[in-house]
Amino acid sequence: MHRSLYTDPAIFAEEMVRIFGGTWVYLGHESEIARPNDFVARKLGLRPIIITRDGGGKINALMNRCTHRGATVCRLREGSARYFTCGYHGWTYSSSGKCVSVPGSDAYGPDFKLEHYNLARIPRLETYRGLIFGTLNRAAPALTQHLGAARPLIDQWLDRYPGAEIVVRSSAQRMVMAANWKMVYDNAGDGYHPAFSHRSLLAMTARRHGSDRDMSYFGTAEPDDCAMYTQALGGGHTFIDQRPEMHAESAWKRQRPQPGRENYEEQLRERVGDEEANRLLEVAVGSGMNLNIFPNLLIIGNQIQVVEPIAVDRVQVTWYATTLSGVPDEINVLRMRTQEDFPNFGEVDDCANFEACQQGLAIPELEWIDISRHLHTGVERTDAQGVVTGPVSDDLHLRAYYKEWKRLMSAELNLTVE
Amino acid sequence: MATKDDSGALEPYRYVNDALYERLTALESMWKNPGEPPARELGEACERLIKREARLLDDGEFERWLELFSRECIYWIPVRRGNDPRREITGEFHDRRRLRDRVARLRTGSAYSQIPPTRTCRLLSNLEIFTSRTDELAARANFVIQTYRLGVHRALAGWCGYLFVPEQGAWKIALKQINLLDCDEGQENNSFFL
Repeated sequence: MHRSLYTDPAIFAEEMVRIFGGTWVYLGHESEIARPNDFVARKLGLRPIIITRDGGGKINALMNRCTHRGATVCRLREGSARYFTCGYHGWTYSSSGKCVSVPGSDAYGPDFKLEHYNLARIPRLETYRGLIFGTLNRAAPALTQHLGAARPLIDQWLDRYPGAEIVVRSSAQRMVMAANWKMVYDNAGDGYHPAFSHRSLLAMTARRHGSDRDMSYFGTAEPDDCAMYTQALGGGHTFIDQRPEMHAESAWKRQRPQPGRENYEEQLRERVGDEEANRLLEVAVGSGMNLNIFPNLLIIGNQIQVVEPIAVDRVQVTWYATTLSGVPDEINVLRMRTQEDFPNFGEVDDCANFEACQQGLAIPELEWIDISRHLHTGVERTDAQGVVTGPVSDDLHLRAYYKEWKRLMSAELNLTVE
Repeated sequence: MATKDDSGALEPYRYVNDALYERLTALESMWKNPGEPPARELGEACERLIKREARLLDDGEFERWLELFSRECIYWIPVRRGNDPRREITGEFHDRRRLRDRVARLRTGSAYSQIPPTRTCRLLSNLEIFTSRTDELAARANFVIQTYRLGVHRALAGWCGYLFVPEQGAWKIALKQINLLDCDEGQENNSFFL
C-alpha cells in the first residue's frame, strides 16, 4: 500500500465523504436512546449528526445543522429533548427533525412554509438487532445483505447468553491518538502483532499470575502455531477468532484476576449454584471475537469500539462498555472491571505503535508498506460463500478491506440527504 | 488467584465488594461539602503525604509510590463524575492487585506506550484537608499535570479526592480519585499515572 493513504489530507477528505457516506456506517445502539426523545450526538465521518428517538418511538438520524445559517442545533453529546432550539436565531425542531417554529417567520414572505426547513436526514437508516447503521447512498444494498457473512457472527456475539440482551448505557472510554484512522482498522484484524505489541501485558501476566492466563496463547514463538484464525468476510468486514484458544475450556478460569473477582464469583455461586454460575461467568469475560464491520465498527471482547476519524493524522477510538440485561448484577459488575483491562494494559501500546507508524510514514522517499504476509503461502481457503480463512497472522484482512475501500473511493456515488 | 507483593506478602483482594462501591459512590456528597479540618499536625502529615506522592510520580518512583497506599487501596479515574463504577466503565479502577499489575507492566521493558516515558510536572493547589470519619481523613486538591513526551507538551487539569487511613503508625492513601476536567472526552496517552 502507498504511504499517502495514511498521510495525504486530500485522500482523507475524500474518505470522509465517500467511505463515511457511501456505505453503511455504524451510528449507535438502540439502547442508548431507549426512551422517547432520547438523543445522542455523533459524527458521520466529519458530519455532525443527531440520532434521536422521537416522541412516537421512531429512530431518526438527523444532520446536526440548522437549516437557517448552519449552526449545530444540538450541542450536548447525549440527553433527552423534545425540541432542539438553535441558539443563534431560535429556530426550533422537534425530536423527529421537523421544523416547528421560526421566530418572525412573517418576514420570509407569504410562501414561507415551515416544512421546507426540517433538519436534513440521513436517507437510509436500518438497524440490525439493536445496532443502528446509516448511509447517504440510496443505492446501497439492504443492511443485512451488506453485513453478509458478518451477520451470523454478530448473532453469535449477541447470543452468548440465552435471553440476555446487550445494553449500551455504561459510558465509554475514549482514546485519541496521532494516527490515521485506518491504522486502527488495520490492527483490528491483525493477529500478528499481539506477541510483540502486547509483550508488556503478556510478560507482566506471566510474571505475576502464571503462564496460562488470558492471551498467553498469543505468546508462542510461531504466531500461527495455534487454533485461532482470521477471516475476510466480504464487504471489507474481517474477523479474528480467538475463541478456539480463549474459550477452549473456560475463559473465566484463565482470566487474569480483575478487581472484585473472588467476591462476586462467590456471591454468584451461592445465589445461583455452580452449574448456572459457570455458564454466567463465561460472559463476564470477553467474547474472544474481534469482528470488524467496515469502516468503523469493531466488536471486540464485550465492547463496541467505534473508529472516529478527526484528521488525516488523528483519530479517536471510543470503546462503549456493554452490560447484559436479565443476568445477575455480579456479572455486570465483573464486566465493567473486565472491560477496563485491555484498554489500559494492551490498547495503550497499540496506540503508541500506530503513532510510531504515522511518524515513520512521514518519509516521502519511502513510499510503500507491506501487506503481503501469507499472500504466497497458499494456505488461505475460500468457502462457498466467498469467506476467506487464513492463519491468524495473515495480512488477509488488509488486502480484503482495501478492496472495498478502493471500490468505494472509485465508485460512481450519488450521496444525498433527505 | 492470590498474588504476592515483592516482600512475599499476600496482596489483599477481598475488599472490592458492594460495600466498597457504595461507599465510593456516596463520597460524592462529601467532596461537595468537605467536613471540618483535623488537628493541625494531622493536616500537615496529610499535606506532606500528598506532596510526596506527587514527587514520587514525577520522579517515576512507582514502587516507592505504591508504598504510600494502604493495603486496601483504590486508584480511580472516572469517565463521568459521581457514577457508580458497578454500572459504569471507568478510565481506570484498580485495587492493589491491579495497581501492582499496572506498575509491573511499566517495568517489563516492553511497555511501548511509555518508551520513552512521559515526563510529568505536577502542581497541586486549593488543598482542603478534612475529617471524613473516625480514623479517616480526606483531602481535595486541584492539579495541573504538565506532561512532555516525544516533542509534545500537554497539560492535564482537574482535582483529586483522597482518603487517608492510619496503618502501621503512618497515614496511607486509601483512595485516590482523579477527576479530569475532560474525563468524558477523548484522552491521549495517559498510560503513566495521574
